[in-house]
Amino acid sequence: MNSKAITAVVVLSIMILATAFKINYQETPKPWPVPEKYAKMANPVKSDAESLKTGKDVWAKHCQSCHGKTGRGDGSKAAQLKTAVGDFTSTDTQNQSDGALYYKSAEGRDDMPGFKKKIPDEEEIWAVVNYIRTLKK
Amino acid sequence: MKAIINKNLIGACGLLILLLGGQVGNAQDQTDSTAVTAPQSKPKPKPVKNTFEGIWLIDNQTVLVPIKGTFEMDIMHRFGTLETGYEDFYGFFAPSNIRLGFSYVPVNKLMVGVSITKTNMTWEGYLKYALFTQTKGKFPVSLSYYADMAIDTRGNENFYHKSDRLSYFHQILIARKINDRLSVQIAPSVSHANVVNGYFKTSGSVADSTYTAELDGEMEHNHFAVAVSARYKIKPSMNILFNYDQPLTKHLSNNPNPNLSLGIEFTTSAHSFQLFFTNFYSITPQRNNYTNKNNPITFVSFNDITFYPQHFLIGFNITRLWNY
Repeated sequence: MNSKAITAVVVLSIMILATAFKINYQETPKPWPVPEKYAKMANPVKSDAESLKTGKDVWAKHCQSCHGKTGRGDGSKAAQLKTAVGDFTSTDTQNQSDGALYYKSAEGRDDMPGFKKKIPDEEEIWAVVNYIRTLKK
Repeated sequence: MKAIINKNLIGACGLLILLLGGQVGNAQDQTDSTAVTAPQSKPKPKPVKNTFEGIWLIDNQTVLVPIKGTFEMDIMHRFGTLETGYEDFYGFFAPSNIRLGFSYVPVNKLMVGVSITKTNMTWEGYLKYALFTQTKGKFPVSLSYYADMAIDTRGNENFYHKSDRLSYFHQILIARKINDRLSVQIAPSVSHANVVNGYFKTSGSVADSTYTAELDGEMEHNHFAVAVSARYKIKPSMNILFNYDQPLTKHLSNNPNPNLSLGIEFTTSAHSFQLFFTNFYSITPQRNNYTNKNNPITFVSFNDITFYPQHFLIGFNITRLWNY
């Protein structure tokens, strides 16, 4: 084996080792300001059985893959994201107003997609907010 | 054109009556925003949602037209038939058919698309328009119209005229969401081929000079068929799919076989994945309906023991959605 081949093998080995030991740290979410209009907005959809069923269906289709089945942030895609998705069962989430959760779901930010185009019916997003309330510890 | 309506059409009509007449549905009729701000007023019924999860149900279109601004990419794959068994690993390593399609919804209720399929390098342009959507007290079913034009882009040596390359497909899609789990669809269609194989129809005798020979088609140019499809939800993001296509027109020869398909569908926010058994191979709808040679009821057997249907094949559809 000539010196060029040895050098190539060494460089490749270092690259593979460097990749193998790379740890993918997720960023802690930065503050997410909510416009006052939304923060104070009342939920127009009553949290009844029908709304919770709609919310659960929408959650299963659009939210579960990142936020997890029970909202703990342990969905199958969560580890691939730059930002930690958080725990929706915690007081951090549950203390936010319905309007704030609606705003964040509809508008999105960074890794979190906005759903106002994919779910044009506002009531369905409000139904998801109602469903998020059922995830409380 | 002699379309002979057989018993299957009567069965299909029966199903249509069930679709139109069955009022057992408790599909998702939801209150509108007016009712939310003024809860005392009687809620106005809204069109049902999610009759189907996507625009495809195995080989047929569904009644669904996505929301305005939806762009979709489809990758559809059909492996070979199970016929040769282990030799090509039950069709897995046999020549396959592949379709790449793109569709967009520029205005509400209208979808347009373009695709290319491997068989005969067939390009298709298609559109679907939602005429009305199932709404409690207003429409018992959803109804859409689907049209497809295909062009065979093989070399000129395969055709006498440019128009011979063209074929068409028209379909009326009628569907009802029976309940949150079950949706059914019935879809009569007509396929049109610009060119068919010909033969000489002769009469009289040469001896008395009454002999005549007239060129006629082995198949009708128009072929009628009806598709019956169903979706049953077993989990919020998992469905069982069923599809049956019955030819209605009788041709002099080369009558196409019916199609039977059964599969499973997984859906997420931006993707859907359908995996199924079917005996349709062509993907292009007019070719599927007009030329299907795969017989769903012939089986591979050995020593009088039946093993599996030999003309079935495995297929999958993958779709990716973007909303603009």
